[in-house]
Order: sequence, then C-alpha cells, then structure tokens
Amino acid sequence: MKKTLFIAFLAIFAFTSVHAQSRKERKAMYDSKYNYEIQSLGVGQDGTKLVKIWGYGKKADDAVYEAKRNAVAAVIFRGVPAGNGAAATPPILTIDGYEKNADFFDDFFKAGGMYLSFVNSTTDGMPGGADRIKMKKGYKVALSASVAYDQLRKYLEEKGIAKKLDSGF
Amino acid sequence: MKKSLFTAALLLMTILMFGQAKKPILMVVPSDNFCIQKGYSMTVNANGNEQVLPDYKTALQSSDELRLVITKMGSIMADRGFPLKDLEQSLKSIESESAEISMLQSKSSGAAINETPIDILKRTAKADIILDLDFVVKRQGPNNFISFNLRGLDAYTNKQVAGVAGAGAPSSSASVDLLLEEAVLSHMDDFNGQLMTFFDDMFKNGREVKLVIRVWDNADVDLEQDFDADGTYDMLSFHIENWMAENTVSGRFSTVDATGTMMRFEQVRIPTTFTHNGREMAMDTRRFAANLNRYLAGEPFNIESKIYQRGLGEAWLIIGER
Repeated sequence: MKKTLFIAFLAIFAFTSVHAQSRKERKAMYDSKYNYEIQSLGVGQDGTKLVKIWGYGKKADDAVYEAKRNAVAAVIFRGVPAGNGAAATPPILTIDGYEKNADFFDDFFKAGGMYLSFVNSTTDGMPGGADRIKMKKGYKVALSASVAYDQLRKYLEEKGIAKKLDSGF
Repeated sequence: MKKSLFTAALLLMTILMFGQAKKPILMVVPSDNFCIQKGYSMTVNANGNEQVLPDYKTALQSSDELRLVITKMGSIMADRGFPLKDLEQSLKSIESESAEISMLQSKSSGAAINETPIDILKRTAKADIILDLDFVVKRQGPNNFISFNLRGLDAYTNKQVAGVAGAGAPSSSASVDLLLEEAVLSHMDDFNGQLMTFFDDMFKNGREVKLVIRVWDNADVDLEQDFDADGTYDMLSFHIENWMAENTVSGRFSTVDATGTMMRFEQVRIPTTFTHNGREMAMDTRRFAANLNRYLAGEPFNIESKIYQRGLGEAWLIIGER
C-alpha cells in the first residue's frame, strides 16, 4: 500500500514539475524579445514595409502598443519574411544588434519612445475577429502596420548604430 | 616638443581615419537574355561565325519598362550612397569621345592623338559591379505578374556577389508600370543586404582580383630561371609566389597555372588601401602589380616588366621589357 502511494506521489510530482517547466518555458517564449510573430502583407509604398504583427497584453490596448513595438523591433533585429508577393527583407542590424547597443535601444523602445515615429497602424480602430484573441490572462492582438523602413534605417545610421552601405569607401 | 609630437600624432590619426577604399562603380545592364528575347540584338560576323549580341542602345531607346526599372533602381541606390553609372549616357559619351579623338589636332603641328588599337578596344562602358537585370511581364488568366531577376556581378572576378529573383503578386487591376515598381521595391533591400555582406568581406579579407605573369618572346629571362633572393636559391616563379604570400591579405591567393612562360593567380586578395607619403590611398590591381614590378626590378632580379591592365580586376605583368 505504502509502495503504491509512493509511486502515485512520484508520478504526480513528476507530472506537475514537467507541467510547471512547460509553463515557465511558455512564459519565457512570450517574454522573449526575439519572439516576433510577423508576416508580410505585400509590397508597401516606397521605403515602407507592410506587415501583420502580433502583440500580447493584459488589455487589448496594451497588446496593440506591444504589437507596434514588435513591428519596429522585428524590422531592426529579424527582418520580414517573404509573403503576399513581397520578397524577404533583411534585418537592419545583425542578430546581436540589441546586445551591442542595449542602452540605445532601451531608451528607443521605452514607453512612448522614439520607435513610435517609425510605425503606423493601418488597422482602423481596435482589431477584432480573428485578430483579437482573448487569452487566460489578457489578449493577443494582430495589427496591420506600416513600418517606415528607410527612415528607420537612416535614423539608425545617423546615430551610428547601423552601418551605411557605403561606409568605408 | 611634446605638443608638436601630439599634433603630429593627431594629424597622422586623422589621415589614417580618412583613408578610404576605392568606391565601386555600379551600373545596371540589361541581361543578354532580356535584350535578345525582346529583339534588342544585332548579329555580327566574327571570323565566319554569326554571333547574336545585345544591342543596349536600342534597348534603352525603345523599352519604356526598362527605363522605368533603371530609374527606380537608380533612385534607391543613390539614396544608399551609390549613384548608379548610367549605361545610356556612358554609351553616348563613348560615341562622342571617339568622334572628338578622331577630330582633335594640336594647334602648332596638327598632330593627332596617339591611340593604339588596344586603346580603342578598351573604350567601353565599365563598372566594378554590373547589375545584370532581367524581367518579364507574364500573364496568368486575367492577371499580370512580374518575374524579376537581378544579379550583382563582380567585374573583377566575374563572380555573382548578390542576387535576387522571384515573381510578384498577380494583379488584374494594377498597371505593368506599377507592378514593375513593386518588383524593384520588393527586392532591392535584400539585394543591398547581400551587397553589404560582400563589402564587409572585402574590407575584412581584401579585394579579390586576378594577376597573370607573362614573358615577352624576346626576353632573356623566364620564370624557371634560378635566383638567389631573400636567402633562398629558387626559380623565379617561386620567388614571385613568395612575394605574393607576403603582400596579399593573410597570404590568400591561388596559383591556377604555372609554366616557364606564364603564371596565373586567381582569388588574389589585395588590400583595399595602401600608404603613400604617409597618406592612405585606395589600392587597385594596377597598383598591386606595380609593387611586384618594383620588386622584380630590384636586386638580384633586375628584370624590367610591363604592367597591362586587363579589365578592372585583372592585371598582366609581362616580364622582359616595358
């Protein structure tokens, strides 16, 4: 009897620890600054990138703001994958761009920061339907956004963060 | 004294900081495929063999679509610090240069300009990187779409250093001009990203060029002759290889061929800059070959040689005389 109880206890403990770990991993994934869910919506106007980007937040408003931040961050650090007739866009910086310029980007991406100058929401009002998912603790919202890619690249070049194509010549 | 030394050091630092590599010239050239498919071609008879060649002048004069794509690409590249060399203007300039050379005479004696057949042959539109462009307007039911292909070819090595290709989204309402503009906008960022990688590699590992050593038929020396130089008694070809190892970036070069009368070096990585009178200057293939020329002219070789620049990234050093 004791042996059966011990095995049952062990099984419950193992299950909960595995479950806790997966939740922790999931949280880490949501919190990760590298986790951008982005897709191209087609070729944007001259110098802009038209994307659909997801954000998370306790309120739908917060999720929209996070999505805007993610749109700019994705264009800088990860690029935009090909889709809807648009070719892939490479990131403005290399993969370790954030780590190399952490102070600059912490200020750039702060609440109400400079990043907002380079993104425009093309969605009228609050996203609804399939673009607004109610989760256990908040919302996951998809935003159609236009990122001013050329302006953003030039700004980062002027600040000495990104390298110009003709630097060294 | 300390102040003077500090000023001198500051001056030297400034000079070194502003030393810059030779900026490559980029030019859009419609691909042979584009020109021939569209009928912008000419047939020439070369030694009994008929050859179909692209007629760039006709292509640029006749195709509105080509001009639109070149203009769009030009504005994007100018924005990135690389104004494109215009093929149409280059061709016009070559034509007028030929006419001017044939008409020009000196005031005092009426002498004409000395121009060898080689000089005439070399009078062509040149660029360091050729943007080889090809696009086709295709139809899928009621929709039009653009198949776009752009390759960046390094004129020094003939290697493709960047390339983008793909089909745009089909549309029944958008005009062909709009679809072409979309194709350029869609691909240029990726293309420039690849160019950036190529430039980064160039700055890190040197400019890749070719160098060929040849021997005049009346020369009293060949590449198998032994010399005692730098403490080594060996054939001239090995001394040249040793010099190459010491003067290329990280000693990177490949000896593709070596005989008694010819040596061919490929994938030669030359530095992008060199110092002359304390000033950093851009290095090119001719300058690099000139350094080898000086080495061979010195003791114990005492060999005269001629530098012949063949294209942008290839130089010949013909030993025996100038």
